[in-house]
Amino acid sequence: MTDIATRAARVVQSPGGRRRLNGGGPRAGTIFAFVIPFFLPFVLFYLVPVGYALWQSVRVVRRTGGQYGTSYTTFGGFDQYEKVFQNSEFWSSVGRIGLFGIVQVPVMLFVALVIALLLDTPLLRLKSVFRITAFMPYAVPGVIAAIMWSYLYSPQLSPVVDLLNGIGLHPDFLGPGAVLWSAANISTWLWTGYNMLIMFSALQSIPQELYEAAKLDGASNWAIAWQIKVPIIAPSIILTTVFSIIGTLQLYAEPAVLRQISSNISSTFTPNMLAYAVASGNNYQQAAAISVVIAVITFVLSFGFMRLTSKRAGL
Amino acid sequence: MSSTRTRIRLGAVAVAASVAVLAGCSSSSPSTKTSAASCAPAKGKVTLQYWNTVPGMDKVVALWNKKNPNIQVDTKNISNDQYGTLSNALKAGKAPDLSQVGYDELPNLRTQNAFVDASACSAATAAKSKFVPWTWSQTSFGNTGVFALPQDTGPMALYVRSDIFKKYDIAIPTTWDEYAAAAAKLHKADSKLDITFFDPNNAEWFNGLLWQNDSQMYSYSGDKWQVTVASAQSKQVADYWQKLISGKLVRTDLANGSTQMYAAYQKDQIASYVGAAWGYSMFRDNLPKQSGKWTIVPMPTWGSNGASGDWGGSTVAFMKGSKHLYESVEFNTWLNTDPEALALENQLGGLYPAANAGLQLPALSKGVPYYNNEKIFDVFADSSKKINTSFAWGPTQKTVNLALQDAMAKAAAGDGTLYDALTTAQAAALKSMKDQAIPAAAGK
Amino acid sequence: MNSLSTSGRSVNRESQVSRTAAMALMLLLAIYFLLPIYFLIVAATKPQGDLAATNGLTFSHFNLFENLRVLFTRSDGIFGRWALNTVIYAVLGAAVGTLISALCGYALAKFRFRGREFLFSVILGGVLVPTTALALPLFLLFSATGIVNTYFAVFLPSIVSPFGVYLARIFANAAVPQELLESARLDGAGEFRTFFSVAFKLMTPSLVTIFLFQFVAIWNNFFLPMVMLQKESLFPITLGLYEWNGQTARAPLLQESVITGSLVSIVPVIILFILLQRFWRTGLAAGSLK
Repeated sequence: MTDIATRAARVVQSPGGRRRLNGGGPRAGTIFAFVIPFFLPFVLFYLVPVGYALWQSVRVVRRTGGQYGTSYTTFGGFDQYEKVFQNSEFWSSVGRIGLFGIVQVPVMLFVALVIALLLDTPLLRLKSVFRITAFMPYAVPGVIAAIMWSYLYSPQLSPVVDLLNGIGLHPDFLGPGAVLWSAANISTWLWTGYNMLIMFSALQSIPQELYEAAKLDGASNWAIAWQIKVPIIAPSIILTTVFSIIGTLQLYAEPAVLRQISSNISSTFTPNMLAYAVASGNNYQQAAAISVVIAVITFVLSFGFMRLTSKRAGL
Repeated sequence: MSSTRTRIRLGAVAVAASVAVLAGCSSSSPSTKTSAASCAPAKGKVTLQYWNTVPGMDKVVALWNKKNPNIQVDTKNISNDQYGTLSNALKAGKAPDLSQVGYDELPNLRTQNAFVDASACSAATAAKSKFVPWTWSQTSFGNTGVFALPQDTGPMALYVRSDIFKKYDIAIPTTWDEYAAAAAKLHKADSKLDITFFDPNNAEWFNGLLWQNDSQMYSYSGDKWQVTVASAQSKQVADYWQKLISGKLVRTDLANGSTQMYAAYQKDQIASYVGAAWGYSMFRDNLPKQSGKWTIVPMPTWGSNGASGDWGGSTVAFMKGSKHLYESVEFNTWLNTDPEALALENQLGGLYPAANAGLQLPALSKGVPYYNNEKIFDVFADSSKKINTSFAWGPTQKTVNLALQDAMAKAAAGDGTLYDALTTAQAAALKSMKDQAIPAAAGK
Repeated sequence: MNSLSTSGRSVNRESQVSRTAAMALMLLLAIYFLLPIYFLIVAATKPQGDLAATNGLTFSHFNLFENLRVLFTRSDGIFGRWALNTVIYAVLGAAVGTLISALCGYALAKFRFRGREFLFSVILGGVLVPTTALALPLFLLFSATGIVNTYFAVFLPSIVSPFGVYLARIFANAAVPQELLESARLDGAGEFRTFFSVAFKLMTPSLVTIFLFQFVAIWNNFFLPMVMLQKESLFPITLGLYEWNGQTARAPLLQESVITGSLVSIVPVIILFILLQRFWRTGLAAGSLK
């Protein structure tokens, strides 16, 4: 082991000071010790279940003996996946969630963007108050938000319904056509503030000099907002979109709560509800296949969107 | 150098962890058949786990615990997701000794090898004579063993707001045709008044109606389950209610037992209730102001066929993995045949007992003040006698019920008919049985 | 439109219109965001009977203390139990998770080793894996090993936060200068000592951010506990309230407890979030800049 003085001398002498010497960094065992507390649980609770789901998804159930018989599982190839793709309920749930996403995500992100932009201009007073109120729903877990909104949708309890009835409107928030959008509303309520904050933080880190030139040219706040600010914070908008896509495909809690009060939400309303219903019917192999397909769709859509927008933005 | 070692070490950990975990979970080996277990009393104190969904059951159990210091029973209420909870527990090997299982779920759980056959216990086989025949037939799977003891039943009858019928001068219907006619008359007289509500999310209720019309949806022959969910008898029931729904003569927006339902009855918007024996306490407890206005009469019949149907009721099953079969049988027998226990279950949980002794309970021979002091239980006892004993449930009943409910909800909202719902349920039955490798074919 | 040549007065007027419009819009949005919470507050103060009978936005007979009493004594105090469980899962879970994410992220940021980037990509891939897809297979794995329906069944998967590692790496790079590490090493300090005495202090605000993110993720996670837990005494508040909400058809009085319980559970978190808002902004800013 070289002595400290020699090592110090070597550090000083190497150009740029950034060249790392052998033995100047931590030993392999130390690196291992830093990484393993995360990595072991990560393998056990992230990677292994993924592997297990893949394994389960290629198994089928067989049965021997009589009316009730005894069951066992065996290799089934792509049997479960075939069944998933032939299952009309699966496609219905994916279609539903797709429709949900195509409308809800842009609407929510647009509102979030508008709020973020407004907060970034001198047009508003009481900015911190508005920022806090927009952010508050983020503190509410999805299930509780859905419970709260279910009361606001209930014809018996809702003051909103009472109000609308009073002016002659009779909306049925829980009706077959509307219930999907009632669920979408809950998601919007929950996540707008969070997404707004992401965009707002990005806006706040834009140096003011960038606007000076535009203002001197007479650009209005509106023009500055849409032609300068938005393109600059495009990466954060992309990020929020990706996370929103991922979240939408996993939707479970909000429709499940609405299902407790509306018969227009079936047990297979969203892909995850389908997976859970199938698992409750003890068909774990099929449920695994459904989970894998949803995960793959999620990955393709989110990754694809990121790639697409990076290419477009030339990032 | 160090980096490679680190990488190798991390990789090794990943592989080792995966192998260890995956090796620990073997693929489901053929599970053991439901074999008759031995029945020997334990030495010393025993604690049993009993999962149930009945209100007030903890007090009944407390009564037993007081009398039986050596056989203590712990209860857990699993009303929220009864079968999900049970099924998960079975999968995890942590099933209780005894559990509430509805009659309609017995075949389903049997295919998961959820039960243990208690026929080695003499008290279990001797219990046969203590119960109403159709209930024993279902819990013993046609006398092939003792897998559960019947607890309560739900013989159906018609609850009627006699004051409303009197007001509009309509005779209380005795047949379904008369019922439909009455529905039209009532609605015509008062457009806000409906004769009853159709809850599309209640497959159990609908199955009771199919049962009444002798609809044999499942049977076993030729080494296969023969599935006829959408039989002619089922179609007759479906078409009947579809007509009422399309004619807007019944409400479709209320769930059984919900606050909205009570609110509607409270506001005199609904004139009758097609219900079961255990429902009598619902109105008594939630609509106290309507005391004296309700009467209970036999279910409307299909022409001259006086059969009745059953809605609900459940059994207490001996679950696989129970380590104390003897004590479980002792407790279970007491729970479901002892007059004191039955009286308490009836009083607190509104249970209508399946045991013969229960039908003689003092509480069930008296007039009930809420219902004009009528002996309403005579009606239910009578209905009980007319329940078809050959009706059978399917081995994937839960999945079929869910599919049926989803489709009935659509029909109630105007998308398709109730008969379409039946055909959807038929397809779901065949598919789910195929998924579980249960031999099945479309019957008839 | 806007014209710079006009006097200051017309510019003011123009922006006065814009200002009013902006304020009106934000006010509308603020009402939207606050409405359910306000409704919850009002509903929680009412007795059960008044819920349907009185207007939802106005107070009626003040019954909050009675509702609270019923809430906390219902089913032998199960609600308090649920609250404790939530603290265990979300607070303790996030704390442990933050620590291990910090250690790993720091190592990925500050230590050079071959395969570092590959490891990081694997972990980053984990960010894209939806946790709901993991819940069912995890359930089967835990069933086979017997830890299903225990605290560990929810706690253990919850401590894993790939996003936390990602943030920790960014923050470690940003907050901990390499020179400081070098000098500590020259002083002969071990890596762990260096981490806990030097880096940890520098990264503290970042660690709070990571903690808050993970806390929210666990607090929000409904599918995992729902799949894993059957024993009521292990439920977090979200699962408990969901269960009660499903039983209100049979037991109408539960409705008021669901409402009061919802209020009780979100008020402390909302207050905490408002007070700690700045940690999100730093976190989100760092995250979005990638």
